[in-house]
Amino acid sequence: MPTYRSHVLVCGGTGCMAGGSQVVQARLKEELAKKGLDKEILVVQTGCHGMCEMGPIVVVYPEGTFYTRVTPDDVRELVEEHLFKGRIVERLLYKPSEKMESVKHYNELPFYAKQHRIALRNCGYINPENIEEYISRDGYQALAKVLKEMSPDDVINEIKISGLRGRGGGGFPTGMKWEFCKKSVSDKKYTICNADEGDPGAFMDRSILEGDPHSVLEGMAIGAYAMGANEGYIYCRAEYPLAIKRLKGAIAQAEEYGLLGKNIMGTNFSFELHIKEGAGAFVCGEETALMASIEGERGMPRPRPPFPANKGLWGKPSNINNVETWANVNPIIVNGGDWYASMGTEKSKGTKVFALTGKVKNTGLVEVPMGITIREIIFDLGGGIINDKQFKAAQIGGPSGGCLTAEHLDLPVSYESLTGAGAIMGSGGLVIMDEETCMVDVAKFFLEFTQAESCGKCVPCREGTKQMLLTLDRITSGKGVMEDLDKLEELALMVKDSSLCGLGQTAPNPVLTTLRYFRDEYEAHIKDKKCPAKACAALIQYLVSPDLCRKCGLCAKNCPVNCISGDRQTPYVVDQSKCIKCGTCLEVCPFKAIRKE
Amino acid sequence: MKEIMLSFDGKECKGTLGDTILEVAQKNDVYIPTLCYLKGLSPIGACRLCVVEVEKNPKLLTSCTTPAVEGMVVHTKTEKLHNYRKQILELLFAGRNHFCMYCSQSGDCELQRLAIEHGMDAVRYPFLYAPFENDATHPDLMMDHNRCVLCLRCIRVCAEKVGAHTLDLQKRGWAATVCADLGQKLGDSSTCVSCGACAQVCPTGTISVREFAYRGKRKDCDAVVESVCPLCSVGCKIKTYVRTGSIARVEGTGTESPDGGQLCHMGRWWLPESTERERVTVPMIREGAHFREASWEEALALIAEKAKPAAAAGKAGALVSSLCTDEELSLFSAFYRDALKVDMDTFDGDILRGFIKGFEPFRAQGVRPFTGAHNILESDLVVNLCANAQDEAPVVASYMRVAVLRNNAKMIYAGDMADPFLGLSDVSVRFNGQCNDASFLKELTNCIMALAESEVDLDGRTALDSYKLSLKKVAELAGITDETAGELVKLVSAAKKPIFVLGKNLAKNPAVITAAGNLAIAARSFFEDGLGIVPLVASGNSLGAVNTCVSEKPWLRGEGKDFLYVYSTGMIPEDEDSLSAISRSGFSVIQTPYLVRPLVNLADVLLPTPAWFERSGHFCTIEGERRRLNVIVPPQAELKGLSSILEGIARDLGLTVGRPESAPCEQFFVSSVSPELAKMAAL
Repeated sequence: MPTYRSHVLVCGGTGCMAGGSQVVQARLKEELAKKGLDKEILVVQTGCHGMCEMGPIVVVYPEGTFYTRVTPDDVRELVEEHLFKGRIVERLLYKPSEKMESVKHYNELPFYAKQHRIALRNCGYINPENIEEYISRDGYQALAKVLKEMSPDDVINEIKISGLRGRGGGGFPTGMKWEFCKKSVSDKKYTICNADEGDPGAFMDRSILEGDPHSVLEGMAIGAYAMGANEGYIYCRAEYPLAIKRLKGAIAQAEEYGLLGKNIMGTNFSFELHIKEGAGAFVCGEETALMASIEGERGMPRPRPPFPANKGLWGKPSNINNVETWANVNPIIVNGGDWYASMGTEKSKGTKVFALTGKVKNTGLVEVPMGITIREIIFDLGGGIINDKQFKAAQIGGPSGGCLTAEHLDLPVSYESLTGAGAIMGSGGLVIMDEETCMVDVAKFFLEFTQAESCGKCVPCREGTKQMLLTLDRITSGKGVMEDLDKLEELALMVKDSSLCGLGQTAPNPVLTTLRYFRDEYEAHIKDKKCPAKACAALIQYLVSPDLCRKCGLCAKNCPVNCISGDRQTPYVVDQSKCIKCGTCLEVCPFKAIRKE
Repeated sequence: MKEIMLSFDGKECKGTLGDTILEVAQKNDVYIPTLCYLKGLSPIGACRLCVVEVEKNPKLLTSCTTPAVEGMVVHTKTEKLHNYRKQILELLFAGRNHFCMYCSQSGDCELQRLAIEHGMDAVRYPFLYAPFENDATHPDLMMDHNRCVLCLRCIRVCAEKVGAHTLDLQKRGWAATVCADLGQKLGDSSTCVSCGACAQVCPTGTISVREFAYRGKRKDCDAVVESVCPLCSVGCKIKTYVRTGSIARVEGTGTESPDGGQLCHMGRWWLPESTERERVTVPMIREGAHFREASWEEALALIAEKAKPAAAAGKAGALVSSLCTDEELSLFSAFYRDALKVDMDTFDGDILRGFIKGFEPFRAQGVRPFTGAHNILESDLVVNLCANAQDEAPVVASYMRVAVLRNNAKMIYAGDMADPFLGLSDVSVRFNGQCNDASFLKELTNCIMALAESEVDLDGRTALDSYKLSLKKVAELAGITDETAGELVKLVSAAKKPIFVLGKNLAKNPAVITAAGNLAIAARSFFEDGLGIVPLVASGNSLGAVNTCVSEKPWLRGEGKDFLYVYSTGMIPEDEDSLSAISRSGFSVIQTPYLVRPLVNLADVLLPTPAWFERSGHFCTIEGERRRLNVIVPPQAELKGLSSILEGIARDLGLTVGRPESAPCEQFFVSSVSPELAKMAAL
């Protein structure tokens, strides 16, 4: 095997790829070849680093120099300066803020300093398309250990000791779930990986599948061994083509190495794995709907009981875990359940990956120990709010979660604490909102999503979310009445209590939490017909401040509906009856003479 | 069966382990409102009206899907539940067009009843007035999606009972609607069998039978009478709604029975229509090209006069319908066969003779040579031999589809037409020869036996060779490759409970029926009540006619009779052979309830008779049950019963008619010997 003096890691996650990382990679190889360095320096395509905001990301090892926003045009300089002459290209380094000094190394970045990467352990470090790189980082060691040294009960026991809980949202103890499935007597059992990540803004599962697919395969094989299954499915949404491609490649490689398929590692244990591509329904992330979808039926949830552990896929005992849960299995087996349980809070052990998005400086993926506060996530890892505006709320748990306010900033994150505050852990979506976000609009946004994704099977979810959305529509367009609030709350509680599946039972959460913490905003929309955050189009006006206006006419020129009139002599005025509230005038005015009210 | 005790609103209730909460409640007269639930269909817990609170369980549970557990303390009527249910109903009313005064289903509607029950006098949510489609493309059914509550009963009955799987959902959430096939209109569907089961189970006015809209709602009807459909050999149980002396609608009964209370297009549309048809009301005698009304005395006297010499000369005959009841058939046979001693037959005599003769070797052993048609649902392999069940006995076709689609049974077709279940069949064989050639079945039987021997015989050489030889012959006879033949043989051999559906065409040659019986024995097709054979005999009481009116030898196609008595129920058209025999006879007495042409045109004397809904008696069905036909509407006063008519003729002839001697079919085809002991018959 050839040795290299340096490895250049180019991120091949979807975010960085969209930013042109593949061209960067090709250019790098080209330039290295030109310099005759291609025998000395290896270019590796890795999975996601998590700091997608700063992509495309290139890391140069052994130093661990972390370059951000690398464009193909930067490559020549990078090769010439860093790789040929050994001088760091300062301008491509990450700078937390204008005033701060740039950070040279990966592990000095505040974004990574507080992270504890277990599920994401290999993302960004290894080439996901090469099984040997995975093996070199303890990959398949856990499976070997399990097959050679542990009984199924030992495995389940270890998972129980670790305190691992379902990372898909429910937070059900994984060890117990496995035990239920193991105890079910059947000639056939299935293990299933839920990779139908559908929460808007969440991409932790995608990053794991793209950056470290083998960790999921290994986790599933271990689970299958523990539960007595010999067949498995990965239900991955078709919108993740790269993840599917890498999964397929990984399965083929693992089969070739005898790590999947018949008689794994020469034992009696066989495990056959299939990929099922989801056709784009959020509800298919619900486990019973997911199984219906695999069976070729319309993806609609089924009432429980019977539970999947007794009667799941094709009526056989089945176990479903989410991508992140499966990815945690290898480290737990390798390092022991006690090790995992040493992290986190009393009831929520280990780490959790969050997809940090919204009005935060560093958006991206972070894996943090349970018990960390929301403040730490937003301000230490996330670098604070964009433009240093005021933090207002965080929507945690995706569209099924709830909004938490500034008073919850010091809340240690755990399944229990979040549920107590009206939100849920969910799959880990974390959307940060600043003072300019209207909370009624946020509730409407999430409800619009869940309403559109309702399968239509049960009445509360189908009809209830529609009526709730209509009520929010009325409120945000200034047509609400105070009674609407009581009706909304009453309806939300009914939908939450009596819907068939998790989608309906959690869809009202954004409404209920915003009503609980931001009732004044609702009242302002109804009583004063004002949107305090100035976000609801129907309740705002764009006005020209005559004292600031220099009569340049840019606003009138750019207005798409020609509703601004005036000339060098006459002051400019917005015709409110024609204005569509697009905000273009505000953006183009060089003198800040347009204001929103 | 373990007994369990639960408490419902403080009342102690007994249930059986395995019951759902709702089932225990219903057994104990505890009312829980339901909408999407329908007994016999798989529960889906969609409408959420049946939610109950169970102590120590933080969630609301749908009683239709949650298994009852010993000691459960259930609350069904709390204020919270009442409010939630009312809210759900309001949401449904606000969601689509449920303005009762414009709906043909008003009064019959379950949604309306629930709303009244819950005191829902106003809807607090804005009406959405979304324009959903009103699909009026089907000739007999209407589907107004604006009235749909998405209970999915229609989809479930279509998939679980009819097996057509025509209906499904399209779109999602609030915009979801029921659709046919892949988004087609119902009238354009290529899979719909027009059975109307969807309309029967629809709780609102979404799917309705066009005719029933003006013929009367259920609640407008004067009486509901159960009876049996006479139109095919299945003899489906029916529930008829009578309104002002006419059958306003016909529905299936017993949703929990294997057929799920379905009917076919014939039962659903033809039966109500038959009460409106033009009737023969008085006896009539031909004069030249015309009929004139006559008194019963005159007509019967004329019949006696013509019958006497013809019978004496051996040139008289009686041709009766096998849609008659056991009792009627026995009367006919006692009069014509035993007393008057003339040739008798039924319209489907040729088919019946084939089955009787073919079955005889097994019947003689005390083995019942067939089994209840619903046992198709219990089998793991359905072998379709020359049958087109959708035409011959549509509910049997439903069983076959459900067996394959839901119960994962395999299916084989072998016949001389195109496979009617193409796409469902695992192996489909269209032979070179005709259905009336026994050689294919015979060779298939040999092949299966040879294979069975190969498995036991350790040396196996001779058996294996004979298997290979036999397989080659099967392939040759069927005109298929050796591989396909091998697959076919393996499917039959591997099946634990195969069942054979025999089309009526097979009966042209009794040897084929016997060969099928041998095949069933070789394939170990044994059911509790007999051999695993479902014979698609032609009509409602064909099996009843077997022991009464079918002659041993065919005579209908022979020389014309001097005197021919014909009894037709007028429900299914007469075949050409029979019509030709009638036209060739010297004097024809035709007794029929309806003015069916061309039959009545051939009469010399035309006698009226009660129609199927005015008579009572028993049918022997291929469901393996003797089912009762009931008087639904009493006959008009001038109609005479069969026995008094036959008595009248006998009196005029000076004949004494003895008691009917023929036994009902279940005494003819007894199961005194277990089918497992059946021996193959020589061919």
